Amino acid sequence: MRVWPDIHRLVGILGTAAALLLSAVQVFAAQSVVGDGCPAADAEALVWLDKMSRSSHEVDYRGVVTFQRGDDMQVMQIAHSVAGGSTSEQMTRLTGQGAQVERADHPLECLHPGHQLLQVGDSLQSGGCGIAQHYRFGVADGERVAGRDAVRILVEPRDMYRYGYVMELDRETALLLKTSTIGRGAKVLERFQFADLAYGQKDQSSAEVATVHRAAHPNPGQPPAGQSVGLDWSPHWVPSGFTLTDAATDDGRRRTYTDGLAAFSVFLEPLRGDIQPGEGMARQGSTTSYTRGMTLNDRPVLVTVIGEVPVNTARMVADSVTQAK
Amino acid sequence: MSEKLRESLSALMDDEANELEVERVLSRIGYDQELRATWSRFNGARDALSGHSQGMSQLDISSQVSLALASEESLQTSRWQRMVRPVASFAVAASVAATVVIGGQQLAQIGVGDDGARSVATGVSAVGFVNSLGAMPVQASYGTRSAVPALRPATRTAYSELARQRMTRYSQEHAEHAALNTPQGLIPFARVPRITE
Repeated sequence: MRVWPDIHRLVGILGTAAALLLSAVQVFAAQSVVGDGCPAADAEALVWLDKMSRSSHEVDYRGVVTFQRGDDMQVMQIAHSVAGGSTSEQMTRLTGQGAQVERADHPLECLHPGHQLLQVGDSLQSGGCGIAQHYRFGVADGERVAGRDAVRILVEPRDMYRYGYVMELDRETALLLKTSTIGRGAKVLERFQFADLAYGQKDQSSAEVATVHRAAHPNPGQPPAGQSVGLDWSPHWVPSGFTLTDAATDDGRRRTYTDGLAAFSVFLEPLRGDIQPGEGMARQGSTTSYTRGMTLNDRPVLVTVIGEVPVNTARMVADSVTQAK
Repeated sequence: MSEKLRESLSALMDDEANELEVERVLSRIGYDQELRATWSRFNGARDALSGHSQGMSQLDISSQVSLALASEESLQTSRWQRMVRPVASFAVAASVAATVVIGGQQLAQIGVGDDGARSVATGVSAVGFVNSLGAMPVQASYGTRSAVPALRPATRTAYSELARQRMTRYSQEHAEHAALNTPQGLIPFARVPRITE
């Protein structure tokens, strides 16, 4: 009988010692995060991400890309060339609509916020974890994609506000060859991959195109020119790690956010008359469109969040839209 | 709240929860305030999307859980009571919480509820009244070419239709920014149903 209290005490002491040890380990771990980059992050994967971001701008390539969402598959031609310190790129639809998107004379040094978040080399040295705060990364052997040997980067979200990805990068150039967007229950929501890829060749596409869209190029630092929406608004919450991509539209009706891998945009429309509050959503592949009718500063508005994020994220962002103070 | 618990809750709301996940949530719902708040928030989203009113849904959820549990052969009375009681107390708590919870505990952390307009704008309960009356037409576009037909978004169907139309209308503008800020270059334009000049 006398044995039990002693054992209890012993267990208690051991427990306390274990707790102290554990907290010491935690403190040590926290210190090494600050002092030594970000050990919780897979440094190799982060180096690949950094290279991937750079090669997407700096490498000359062209090829054929397939894009799948459910049963739907599109085929398109991609060309990217670098000359005289700037890049030009085209995306030409080969199936469905005869349309082309082109971006010419994009300066190489023009680095938009999404790519800044991927080029994490500097941030790690200064003690931050960068994008590794929001995703877990892993590196594995990849498959062959478009005849190229690939390295596989596994990207798992650390919270429920974003999707996961499996990315295949060219082992030699780090060019992104294939991306699968992974939703809940390991479901592939969308996938694109190069079917054919060539570096450095310049040949003309023979695809017939009816519509050519010149891609817009917002200046990341430019302040909005006016407020034609008539409301100074902003979401008060976005998932951590998401940052504004630019200074929003000049009429103040859109804001776009990125965490480096995903992006979503918030649109605000003032309505002419009262609206019954409500919400609705539509999904296609990894894209969510969430619309909420509500009152903002006594004015009925429609807030729409569209982007490659889960519905719950879109809803929470729309939920947090308020008049800016 | 742990990631696992959050995922279990999400699964429960999506009707994808397995027995373990249901139990994980129910075992904590009685005393975990954060869990209740999150559930209440998820609830609001789901109700609005499925056209139920806020009040309806509390019953709906708990009865759904009850049904799921009742269908199990192994159901014991004691276990039944253990599970139902927290759900019932949750329902009461949630009806209070619904007027307070705004949208995520992160939101709560950065300080909200500072003015009345805000709760009007974002109150979860607001979305519960989807099915009541008619509504005014929605203003068409802002400088975009395509005229959008006026809708009366009084029903769930109307709001789903609105969301679908907004997806079509805004996807190109969203793709412009996704193309510059995600790793795939111009490929995000592939998500645009119809590219315009």
